[in-house]
Amino acid sequence: MKIFLYPATSLILSDLVERWGHEPLSAALPIRERIQTAGFESPPLQITPDDPKRGLRYAAVEVPSGIRGRMALYGPLIEEAEAAVIITDADLAFGCMGCARTNELILYLIREREIPVLDLTYPKNEEEGVVFVGAIRKFLADLNGGGGE
Amino acid sequence: MNPYVPAFIGTVTKYVFIESPEYTPSDLALRAYEVSEGLMIKETCFGLQVTGSPDEVGRVVTSLRSIDPNHIFVKDRGFPPGDPRRCRANLGGARPGYYGHEFEVSSVIPYVSHGLEVLEGMDEKEFSELEMMPGKPGLRIPDVLDVKRLKELMDAEEL
Amino acid sequence: MTTPVRIAQLSCGSEYSGIQKEINDAAAAVNAEVFFPDLTLADIRRSYGEFGLDVRSGDLKLQIARAKALVEGRVDADAVFIATCFRCAEGAIVRNELRRYILHNSQLPVVSYSFTERTTSGTLLTRMEALTTIARRRALLAREVQEGTTLGVDSGSSTTKAVVMKDNEIIGTGWLPTIEVLKSADDAIDIALKEAGIERDAVEAVGTTGYGRFLVGSHIGADLVQEELTTNSKGAVYLADRQRGDSTVIDIGGMDNKAISVSDGIPGTFTMGGICAGASGRFLEMTAKRLGIAITELGPLAMKGLSENVPMNSYCIVFGTQSLVNALATGTSPEDVAAAACHSVAEQVFEQQLQEIDIREPVIMVGGTSLIEGLVYAMGQLLQTEVLVPPHSQYIGAVGSALLASGFIRGE
Repeated sequence: MKIFLYPATSLILSDLVERWGHEPLSAALPIRERIQTAGFESPPLQITPDDPKRGLRYAAVEVPSGIRGRMALYGPLIEEAEAAVIITDADLAFGCMGCARTNELILYLIREREIPVLDLTYPKNEEEGVVFVGAIRKFLADLNGGGGE
Repeated sequence: MNPYVPAFIGTVTKYVFIESPEYTPSDLALRAYEVSEGLMIKETCFGLQVTGSPDEVGRVVTSLRSIDPNHIFVKDRGFPPGDPRRCRANLGGARPGYYGHEFEVSSVIPYVSHGLEVLEGMDEKEFSELEMMPGKPGLRIPDVLDVKRLKELMDAEEL
Repeated sequence: MTTPVRIAQLSCGSEYSGIQKEINDAAAAVNAEVFFPDLTLADIRRSYGEFGLDVRSGDLKLQIARAKALVEGRVDADAVFIATCFRCAEGAIVRNELRRYILHNSQLPVVSYSFTERTTSGTLLTRMEALTTIARRRALLAREVQEGTTLGVDSGSSTTKAVVMKDNEIIGTGWLPTIEVLKSADDAIDIALKEAGIERDAVEAVGTTGYGRFLVGSHIGADLVQEELTTNSKGAVYLADRQRGDSTVIDIGGMDNKAISVSDGIPGTFTMGGICAGASGRFLEMTAKRLGIAITELGPLAMKGLSENVPMNSYCIVFGTQSLVNALATGTSPEDVAAAACHSVAEQVFEQQLQEIDIREPVIMVGGTSLIEGLVYAMGQLLQTEVLVPPHSQYIGAVGSALLASGFIRGE
């Protein structure tokens, strides 16, 4: 299944979701799509001024352009997602995940989809590491209708 | 406006991070060169970047993971390796995403690796009996002490 | 080619608005390069904590940490460009606080800007040019005395001004509406030379500024082609005899407005722009036309009126004019309407631009609109200070150009 990740740039979430047989919807995918599509030059990310316009589908015109541009990346992923894993204390996320207002909107739109969502915090010790990894594995297994790997 | 002509169309690039007490990025690179057939492999300070067709990259990544599954982590990358648009030397400083990786690799991955090791020791039945904690994030884990950790504790006692 | 000026970019959202290339291009056009100060995660955590502004957005935390690295000298730069998305409150707070922090704690020139996806390199060019001039040409900017015989031309969006200076005196001026950029410049120069009583050959160095500076500069073979933020700052402190210490220069122009915080004649922070024509000289021109008077009569008329007597519902040039027309229709006096128009322009500049810089006294108003005394009065009321209008204030850019151009006589 297609799993939206929050933060969408997370190495850990991307790895664990893929490790247990699902498709991580990470920030790299819409960036790759832009980097591999011909058009006008707009370094570094090939996000062009058209992206904030595409973002109007998710946020009104009075919303800052940086939010709408980011939503042009994430909006389609959220629509595609069949489930989501969310880390609720991802305070040190930058770049694609560097805008708090965008992130608030992403989280709201995910909840609104009413798809299965797993909320977690980053583990801060070994015990929490077990809980964290176990919860993700269990969540993903349950999406498949139960069972382990 | 200048036209943009993309390169590496149809390829995928994956980061392969290694945070292992037993293997180094060079070990990983060596293995990658052995199993890759015409893929682009770029060795970095944290591991590798592998670029090629999605199927080939998938096959190589699976093989690399098997070296040390609990200490190797894989993630998609939007850019091909060495792209000047993301290069630290050209930007003057690290791209913002780098700090996110730095945070996860230095502060979180050791605990995740531990979690993977503990779960690895459980059989299917034990795992299926685990329950999510109601109203709280995460899973209810019984007081399990994995063998490796037990050995570490015993070694520490002996000192 | 000289070494590029290194501009540290502190920003949030430029890449996602699709305009990072515009920033890079504007910098490259003035032989500068933008870069992102390099940090470690530990730097970010520590610096952001020490700064004490508890923002939520990761990229703003990064921006704060990068600013601290610049101020503490851990990263070298020649100038700083601070930019966040237009309409982002959190970004605006960080942008303003960092601008203030860098200005007070370092010698780095700073410009701050709020962008949209429509921001182009053209919009950013003048700002980047001013920023690099401050970084690159401190020696040129240090000039306080005009020497020899020089000509300054300010090819503005509404009017073209020319000034001839000799031995630290203005000896000729020319002023014309800008119609055809080159012809208006030629004609204004002829008027100034005639008044000065000298031939073109007697001019030893020439400087140009304003929108048409490049075109006019190459047409008349200028020694110095300089954006108006620099020339206006120099011209203002020169004419107001405030070359030392702090001051603030405000120029409400025909198409855009400039507010520059100046220290020892060198611009520190500045803003440039005009969200809409309602905050420009154009609005006052339209008001004068509606009142059936010359623009020169608007100021004295406004001084006799009370702006409070006219409810202004909008800053927009269309709806603002409508408010004035409605007021006239209900019997409000032309004096009150003139005062309300002046107050509306001053208030809009005060609210939308002067918040972006540090107001340092004295406040010097320059440009053609500084001759409208009702506008100067309204600005003084809003800023709670007496506003200086130096002699020849309408020629400010041309005077600044002529002053700076004299540095080229002996090939400085």
